[in-house]
Amino acid sequence: MTSVAAFRNVSKRYGEITAARNLNLDVASGEFLSFLGPSGCGKTTSLRMIAGFEQPSEGEVFLEGICVNDVPAYSRPVNMVFQHYALFPHLNVESNVAYGLKQRSPKPPTGEIHNRVHEMLELVQLTGYSLRQTWELSGGQQQRVALARALINKPKVLLLDEPLAALDRKLRREMQIELQNLQRNVGITFILVTHDQEEALSMSDRVCIMREGEIAQVGSPLDLYDRPRNQYVADFVGKSNFFYGVIEQVRTWKVDIRLDCGIPVVLNSSRSFNSHKNGDKICISVRPEQLVLARDESNIPEDSAIKSTARIMNRIFLGEQIEYLLCDERLGEFLALSSRHNELNEKPFETNEVVFVAWSRDATLILDDDERDKPNVS
Amino acid sequence: MAALLAPTTLWFLVMLIMPLIVILIFSFGERAAVGGYGGGFTFEQYANLPARLKAFQNTLTYAPLGTLLSLLVAYPLAYFLALKVDRRFKLVLLVLVIVPFWTSLLIRTYAWIYILGGRGIPTILEWIGIEGVRLINTPTAVLIGIVYGYLPLMVFPVYVSLEKLDKSLLEASNDLGGNSFKTFLQITLPLSMPGIATGCMLVFILLMGEFLIPAFLGGGKVFFIGNAMVDLFLQSRNWPFGSAVAATLVVIMLITVSIYMRLAMRNKTGADQSLM
Amino acid sequence: MSKNSDKQITSKQFMRQLWRYKRGSISRREFLGVTGLGMATAVMGAAIPSLLPQKSWASTDLGDRLVFSTWPNYWNQANLDEFTANTGVNIQVNAFGSNEEMLAKLQAGGTGWDVFVPTNYTISNYVELGLIQELDLSRIPNYDASANNPKFAGPATVNGKVYCVPKNWGTTGFIINSNKITSGPKSWKDFFEVTKGEGSGHTIVHDYQLTTIGAALCALGYSFNSIDPNELAEAEAVLIESKPHLFAITSDYQPGMRSGDAWMSICWNGDATQLHNDLPEMQYVIASDGGEIWTDFYAIPAEAPHLDAAYAFLNYMQDPAVQARDAEAHGYAPTDARAIALQPASLATDPILHPAEELMNGLEFGAAQTLTDPNRAELIARFKSA
Repeated sequence: MTSVAAFRNVSKRYGEITAARNLNLDVASGEFLSFLGPSGCGKTTSLRMIAGFEQPSEGEVFLEGICVNDVPAYSRPVNMVFQHYALFPHLNVESNVAYGLKQRSPKPPTGEIHNRVHEMLELVQLTGYSLRQTWELSGGQQQRVALARALINKPKVLLLDEPLAALDRKLRREMQIELQNLQRNVGITFILVTHDQEEALSMSDRVCIMREGEIAQVGSPLDLYDRPRNQYVADFVGKSNFFYGVIEQVRTWKVDIRLDCGIPVVLNSSRSFNSHKNGDKICISVRPEQLVLARDESNIPEDSAIKSTARIMNRIFLGEQIEYLLCDERLGEFLALSSRHNELNEKPFETNEVVFVAWSRDATLILDDDERDKPNVS
Repeated sequence: MAALLAPTTLWFLVMLIMPLIVILIFSFGERAAVGGYGGGFTFEQYANLPARLKAFQNTLTYAPLGTLLSLLVAYPLAYFLALKVDRRFKLVLLVLVIVPFWTSLLIRTYAWIYILGGRGIPTILEWIGIEGVRLINTPTAVLIGIVYGYLPLMVFPVYVSLEKLDKSLLEASNDLGGNSFKTFLQITLPLSMPGIATGCMLVFILLMGEFLIPAFLGGGKVFFIGNAMVDLFLQSRNWPFGSAVAATLVVIMLITVSIYMRLAMRNKTGADQSLM
Repeated sequence: MSKNSDKQITSKQFMRQLWRYKRGSISRREFLGVTGLGMATAVMGAAIPSLLPQKSWASTDLGDRLVFSTWPNYWNQANLDEFTANTGVNIQVNAFGSNEEMLAKLQAGGTGWDVFVPTNYTISNYVELGLIQELDLSRIPNYDASANNPKFAGPATVNGKVYCVPKNWGTTGFIINSNKITSGPKSWKDFFEVTKGEGSGHTIVHDYQLTTIGAALCALGYSFNSIDPNELAEAEAVLIESKPHLFAITSDYQPGMRSGDAWMSICWNGDATQLHNDLPEMQYVIASDGGEIWTDFYAIPAEAPHLDAAYAFLNYMQDPAVQARDAEAHGYAPTDARAIALQPASLATDPILHPAEELMNGLEFGAAQTLTDPNRAELIARFKSA
């Protein structure tokens, strides 16, 4: 087993409430993995089970191949950066950072502790701050102290519980980059909990998307974006247009679908992760940038999955790109994203203009219809 | 600004300064023939202070000792209430801590006369073969009474400081390799210092003037300076001497409290953080 | 209130017990017994309304309250209830531990007392200090001077004016638990010897000057009332020497005697009756070398706020039947021959309450000078804090 941390059929219940259900996950050594999901999805519980603050109700937690269910938090080779840093207010920066070393028995010699603390402060670029009180520091500096404190014991896994949530947007961007660099420098496995998808997608090697205590999908950011396994992931990662329908006929390579609005669609069956049978209610998903808009019908590719017309209801300039909100009697409202300088070199569409809309078979995913109640634009 | 401060100033004047001035004036006077204050100016009352040396000694021994014992009993209770008890039962248990305060200390202390008296604990001890134990009217009985009577005063400040302690600090310590014991010594205890200081101060100051518990559980044999004052004002009617004793007590209290404050301020680093 | 129905005490009863208890000392046993565990619920029930005065329906308006200061365990609640029922005057009872304490309160002023119970030796001092008022005996028709032995009633008259009416009389000796103290002490001299001997650690002396200093003086062969500095110095030495052997210094000696912690105590004869009736091994001794004989009186403070109620109360309490009921409750002998005539023969001839004349030969009434003497006051305070 090469994984540094792993869940095997792990569930966590608090009375009636199930915070985590049947989790199975392997975290590879040196990996940067994020738990992503809305609040209450079980991501923090999962992190705390690795740290040892929570014990699984069922299943096993492994660290370096050893089941640690019965190992108390203070003996686990992992360390944590807390959401609000949890710096000890009665200790200065140096003592905070040294805390982990001082808990070891035998306690390392004073000189060694001192050197290691300074190494750590240098690593997080806080050289010279060792005698400051933690409450004199800015949020970003406190964040670095928390990092230095958590790294001084050279943990096998560093756990980060929404470490950037308390920072302002600009500082957060900087810290994201720093965290990534830091992770590469120290070579320690990072497990990050966040509800910010941009943060998760930009920093992580892999993202574990959680939903109501279950893992919805684990994969690289690209994977999750291009090949979401279900509507929840497609919805959570990036924007998607969803259209609902029923499978009419499953053929060898193709699937015939009739949308609820009556439009028939033929899609490649390779674009479905789950095997479907005739009559299944499904949902098809198309990313806004995969929609093709055109003033001239001839510019619409022949083998499109769908072809229609729609009225431009609204448009938003996003710099290089323009986001359009379109509306069609049958398809309802949906989003499209097009480059200002597409190959057709057409001028941007105007509001109220009626345009041709299409998308390719390969761009369309067939997903389980598990979110029908939710709006189809996210 | 002056107008805003006026009520405060008045309050201090009426509630604090005036009685002190009256006591000071009395303390330099002479006892009237039938008792009370008889005017005059003399240092005789202060010269007579050594007659109450034992009472001062007792107070200065048992007040700090009683404070320490109260803390030792109250801390685990406060710790348990603040950190271990399910939120649902917290309020109930807290109320239970205060409930005894709803009845007079006199009544509660009187119950202890029976518990510590010959037919109470000594009888139970005899059953298990320990004979000849005398509790009532001993310093031990007084200390038990003090711990019992002052427990809520100590529990509450400590409880508050532990309750508002950020629990993630305990997890952080745990996470960094500190077991429960180390975490308690290095995190919980230092951060609950403000509560400890407040509780000790409250109990100590009140103990310096205590007279009821020593009178009841000490049988008049463990005599505090408070008892000496009660005697001087209510029996001997020697107001000037009583005032001199009171003034001396105030001075002793100011000195001990300021020494204590200085010691407490020394490790204020975290203290004033968690005081906020 | 029927005796059978008060398993569950009413909040009113509770508050009354509580007041008695808060003010006083000796009736704690009674307090705990009467109120028991019902007290918390009783207090939370209807305690407050019971504090409000009842509407008066008496023909003459006496007001709605009276503040009565007396000794612990020294009144019959039934009498007070009857008075309240007939007049609408609610009585607040304060119980005190010593005359010195009462004097201190009255000297400090603002007591709000309407009637209080001073002992013989304090009255001339109160008169001198203007703290009590001359009585208008025409407003106390129930008082019959001729029924009272002048020996007991005498101190009520100061400078030819009557300031109080007598209540009860008694003696101050000591009580021993004869199961524990077997040497049969007969005098104060014996008392202090036993204190250092077989009674060591089990003796109680009072916590105020008159009886404790008086006992030590008697043991030395001096007058109970001495204020001679040299004699007092000797008495102090006796007391200080005995202090390590004392169980307690308190006037609240019944609990200690009853629990078996204390074996010997300075004692008033009425308390002795109470103890002896419950525990026959409790034996009262009138010391052969002296001691106190005393009379308690009803008096009205100069500043009594409810004067009409005070006179009505005094008159009511002088009714022979009321006096007899009063004595029934606390055991002390009335001074009034009419009341004694109404008592059961067993009480009227009780040797503790009515000792033979020759036993009382050595007893002295407390002297006024003891109350004001600064040396006696300081001696007792010094002894207690030693």
